[in-house]
Amino acid sequence: MIFITFNTVSELACFLAGLIFLFKDKDPAWRLLIWYLLLTCIVEVAGIYIRTSLHVSNIPLYNLSVLPECFVTSYFFYSLYKTYHPKTKWLIIWLSIFMIMYFTELVLNHFNNFVSITASVMSVVFVLASLYYYYLKLKDEHFERLLFYAPFWWVSGTLFFYFGSTACNLFFDYLIKYPSISYEFSVRYIIFCILDVILYSFWSYAFICRYLQRKSYS
Amino acid sequence: MVLRFYMQISSEEIIFLIGLTSIIFLIAPCFLILYVLSYNRRKKKHLEEKVWLKTTFENELLKTQMEVQEQTLKTVANDLHDNIGQLLSLITITLSTIDLEENSKIASKIILTDDLTRRSINELKALSRLLHGEELISKGLAAAIEFELEWLKRSERYQISFKKDSFKSVADSAKETMVFRLFQECINNIIQHAKASKIVIILEQDNSSFKLTISDNGIGFNVDEKLNLKMGMGLYNIKRRAAMINGTATITSIPGSGSVIAITVPSN
Repeated sequence: MIFITFNTVSELACFLAGLIFLFKDKDPAWRLLIWYLLLTCIVEVAGIYIRTSLHVSNIPLYNLSVLPECFVTSYFFYSLYKTYHPKTKWLIIWLSIFMIMYFTELVLNHFNNFVSITASVMSVVFVLASLYYYYLKLKDEHFERLLFYAPFWWVSGTLFFYFGSTACNLFFDYLIKYPSISYEFSVRYIIFCILDVILYSFWSYAFICRYLQRKSYS
Repeated sequence: MVLRFYMQISSEEIIFLIGLTSIIFLIAPCFLILYVLSYNRRKKKHLEEKVWLKTTFENELLKTQMEVQEQTLKTVANDLHDNIGQLLSLITITLSTIDLEENSKIASKIILTDDLTRRSINELKALSRLLHGEELISKGLAAAIEFELEWLKRSERYQISFKKDSFKSVADSAKETMVFRLFQECINNIIQHAKASKIVIILEQDNSSFKLTISDNGIGFNVDEKLNLKMGMGLYNIKRRAAMINGTATITSIPGSGSVIAITVPSN
């Protein structure tokens, strides 16, 4: 029962939606999301298991999960921008900066703490990437029915999640230091539950849109 | 600084602050998404309008081309009736009056018939050229106007002057067709209503636009009154069609002192 939480349920539901609607998708970026969501589910369950059964910190696991999160999301944004201006060098520059920051923070924290600064920077970059996508969409003369346009809802979910988590990321150190407010139903936990539900709902809807779009073309 | 900040306020206040900030950070994307969606709807509307305008323009262009052809056919019909018909009647009359016993007159009548026949042939050749209306415009706006005026000069009712020194060419054939039709209509108006004896046409061009000015010394008219009569191919339609090719039509007239219509159209 301890494995059934808002996070795990929403992640699993989104993974299933991805599996059903994206399995036959021709775009590798979309198919990659299935594997990413599967990994997210595994990390979430493993995190609960390590914390509750093994009674050890699950921070190293979440530190590790930041890597696929950054790589998959960055690659997906890159694939969305491809239609407008395919600039691989920006992707490489960003990932290089991220890796340097990530490992520097890990070393400075002696591998004991969460890489919160890197995660915060990553959030800001993804918020900017989402806003930039909106800007490209507004500038684009080609009309798209956004209500049924999968990339738009994927980006919107991502924007909600990373923008909404900014406050938690900024106060991460504080929330961790004070156990009285970092118990199971802490404000951080509640906020992340809400954000997870929003993110995975938007993504699931995006997968449905993607499926319908693929079906209408075939 | 941050640590000092933490120490000054209680943990409950921090929780409240984090919660409030997160709520605000969740509301902001909502409005952003709504804005993008509403802008997108406006974009759709704008695109629909663009398509509508394009269709309207194409319809108008087609209508204009048909009107040019119609005008040509009218001229042909008039010419057949007034010129060639008359010449052929004369030939028939001349031939019917030939008396084979009056040898002295036969030669002169045959010469007259020969002359009339040659004139008929020349008239037919001119008509044949006129019938290729589209070909006329393909030779350029100035050539088409010149050809049309040649026809008008034959009536010997008007003193016509055509100046086109600074005019070279227009890249857009649709604009040429439209302006040529406007020219035809202005000339028709002069013939039908102006009671003029003198027509001056000036075709000018600079780097960005070209201008066609048609003036006459006729009876003139009240511009505002005529513009309000939004019927047929009136003055209102001249203005509307000029606007369709991003141009302007300026109409000035004083009753008793003739009129001037100036059509200015951007070259590109």
